[in-house]
Amino acid sequence: MVEQSNSNNNGAEARPGVLNGYRVLDFGWVLAGALPGMALADMGAEVIKVETRQRLDYMRMGRPIVGDQPDPEQNPMFHNVNRGKLSVTLNIAEPDAVELAKRLIARCDVVIENFSPGVMDRLGLGYEALRQVKPDIVMASISSTGQDGPLRDLRAYAPSIGSLSGLDSTMGYEGGGPLGLKHAFGDICGALHAVFAIGAALLHRNRTGHGQYIDVSMLRATVVTQGVGLMEQALTGRSLQPRGNYDPTMAPYGNYPCAGDDTWVSIAVKSEGEWQSMVRAMGSPAWAADDRFGSQYRRQRHRRELDALISRWTAEHEADVVTELLQSHGVAAAPVLGAEERLFHPHFMARGLYSDTEHPALGAEPVFNLMWNLSKTPSQVRRHAPLLGEHNREVLCGYLGLGEDELAELEERRVVY
Amino acid sequence: MTYSLLTGLRVLEIGSMISAPYCGKLLADAGAKVVKIEPPGVGEDARRYGPWPDDVPHPERAGLYLYLNANKEGITANLETPTGRGILNQLAAKYDVVVHNIPPDEMERVGLDYDAIAADNPALVMASISPWGLSGPWRDYKAYDINLAAAGGICEGLGASDREPLTFGTPEVGYFAGMAAASSIVLALLGRDAYGGQHIDIAEAETMAGLYNGPEALMAVYEWRVTRRTGHHALDFPYPNCILRCRDGHIFVGSPEGRQWRRLLEIMGNPDWSQEQRFRNRTAMNNLYADEVDGYVEAWLADYTKAELLEIALENRIPLAPVRTYEEVRSDPSLDDLFVVIERDDTGPVAYPGPPYRLSETEVSAAKPAPTLGQHNRAILCDELGYSAADLVKLYQTGII
Repeated sequence: MVEQSNSNNNGAEARPGVLNGYRVLDFGWVLAGALPGMALADMGAEVIKVETRQRLDYMRMGRPIVGDQPDPEQNPMFHNVNRGKLSVTLNIAEPDAVELAKRLIARCDVVIENFSPGVMDRLGLGYEALRQVKPDIVMASISSTGQDGPLRDLRAYAPSIGSLSGLDSTMGYEGGGPLGLKHAFGDICGALHAVFAIGAALLHRNRTGHGQYIDVSMLRATVVTQGVGLMEQALTGRSLQPRGNYDPTMAPYGNYPCAGDDTWVSIAVKSEGEWQSMVRAMGSPAWAADDRFGSQYRRQRHRRELDALISRWTAEHEADVVTELLQSHGVAAAPVLGAEERLFHPHFMARGLYSDTEHPALGAEPVFNLMWNLSKTPSQVRRHAPLLGEHNREVLCGYLGLGEDELAELEERRVVY
Repeated sequence: MTYSLLTGLRVLEIGSMISAPYCGKLLADAGAKVVKIEPPGVGEDARRYGPWPDDVPHPERAGLYLYLNANKEGITANLETPTGRGILNQLAAKYDVVVHNIPPDEMERVGLDYDAIAADNPALVMASISPWGLSGPWRDYKAYDINLAAAGGICEGLGASDREPLTFGTPEVGYFAGMAAASSIVLALLGRDAYGGQHIDIAEAETMAGLYNGPEALMAVYEWRVTRRTGHHALDFPYPNCILRCRDGHIFVGSPEGRQWRRLLEIMGNPDWSQEQRFRNRTAMNNLYADEVDGYVEAWLADYTKAELLEIALENRIPLAPVRTYEEVRSDPSLDDLFVVIERDDTGPVAYPGPPYRLSETEVSAAKPAPTLGQHNRAILCDELGYSAADLVKLYQTGII
């Protein structure tokens, strides 16, 4: 698919990873729950995804739908966020499946889950139960709004977190209402903080012998990224409102129209030196010498007029041209890139941000790389996302010593399912 | 609030604004000793960003700085001088981790050449956070938050079709780079016995174009969803999936599951419009009739406050979520123990967000306030590195610290 991709980790021999030797049992699903295990797998951990046909990971059946109808093996989103993992199908509504999960946990360092709060306890897989089988287990629960408290049972999706956290309150045009962020900002924040906490908890375990229960909420993980807004409120009493593209220390600061259909370039100028460079890059137009733009203070005060004049200049050039020209003068600029432009961007391609992975159902398909570039052990896509239950035999027979007959019988009873 | 996960770990941070400082904060809040090196005289940029108590600007009271640097110690060193770089080298030889966000083309000049500083400490883990990474054709390009958001895929779908694309309302990209760096650092430390020290390259643009937004970029390949600026609606989701007006502000209204939508309609009294044939398919309803339906739903929402709607959401298990102001976020009782009150002589008590995760098996200690500029010069330079009091005076007089 990504024919020009020049970095193809998959198929190449897996390089050593810092987490070689660590094993993770991963009940995580959809996005926030799947990402931490993906990151740990890219760093070399053996991550065993526990899933079941009884209640498929939504993402296996979600969009985009490749082919005529949804197929659990054909979802590229799923393939992206579950690559590198092994898959074992355990129907943990069945007590025998819970027992098998516990036997696996006894051989694991980390357990990850993002079921609704209380579900793991109800299944007999809560932290206290897991400690019985693995006293130093590190268990991470990721939830929307935390494992307890008044919002615990709120039905919340990614946009809900944007709203509840304050993030959305400043996202919009000046004077207009909040538009809402159309990304899974909270899922990513929750997942990344979970990875950090898991890593730190493993260092702590290695030092002290103690395990850990980690409760990460997407809401909290998003609130902590609202430094400017929260501090403004705390120190001045003001709650920020939408201000369009605005930074209190910069002008110009925005996305400016370029030649072509709906193409834009972002430009940000902070210092006087950067402004002088930008003026030179624009060919020192007469208007730039106007008193209204004579200092950062004045440019801020007259930013609307400034934006209009800059837009006239940018509109005559393509976004790439403006970017190269401004950057060659030491001014921060970058095009507003669409999906395909990111995929084939020369800089991202040179660094291998996306690469092709062979998947048994879909063939070569692009995946994004984690890009945690450790000089000796960089993150790496180590294998394609697993087929449902692809590793039942390897894991259940190999690790737990089940015989073929036993496995067949468990499959028959839909314990392994 | 400070956990004890990383007790004993020693970290040097040369950070400004958000990315490296947030990485340092994650490590500090988890119990690491984090020493921040700032340029003498002026300190780092966040000190001049604000906001300030009662709008009285002062580099020691800048809100973003105070938040992101709580729990750290602070020293000053002019890394443009060999003497200043000497201090950095002496510390790096004894510490476990260095994290910085000095641009790639300035790293060597200020003494952040990994091979050189790891020569005396092969176990050193150093994370370099930069806008575009340490390699590639854009390595030395500049970027501020909006440029990274633009290239990272944040802006293309935010805003109205007839207006400019938008970015985040406040700087956000640095947090993702900080999280990626902090995660990479602790994982590198887990592998330190096997692999020794490492130099970590984290590109801010890639945290957005990759982990944050990568799957979406790949959707272009399958021609599933073309991201467009469609205001407060997004194409190809079942209606409702948007922010609407209510009595005292705005509320997110969602219902990805059919039963959620049916329940919401029930609460609304199963209005006539909802029975219309053209609203059978909710994705069509979203793509073709969203503005019209917004009007119907907002007519109902107008009778309810955000707080009342949150109660309705909890009672009926439907995804409604108030768009909260920062004041409302701060006064949410469910977040009480996220906010940590830290007192400094010059600000009085202020509540800052602490670590966003809770732990079962670790000691918790009180958080320390962010350091004043050079506050720990004596403690670090004299007590740890063995400089004399007379040296300290001379270093100050010559503009090194």
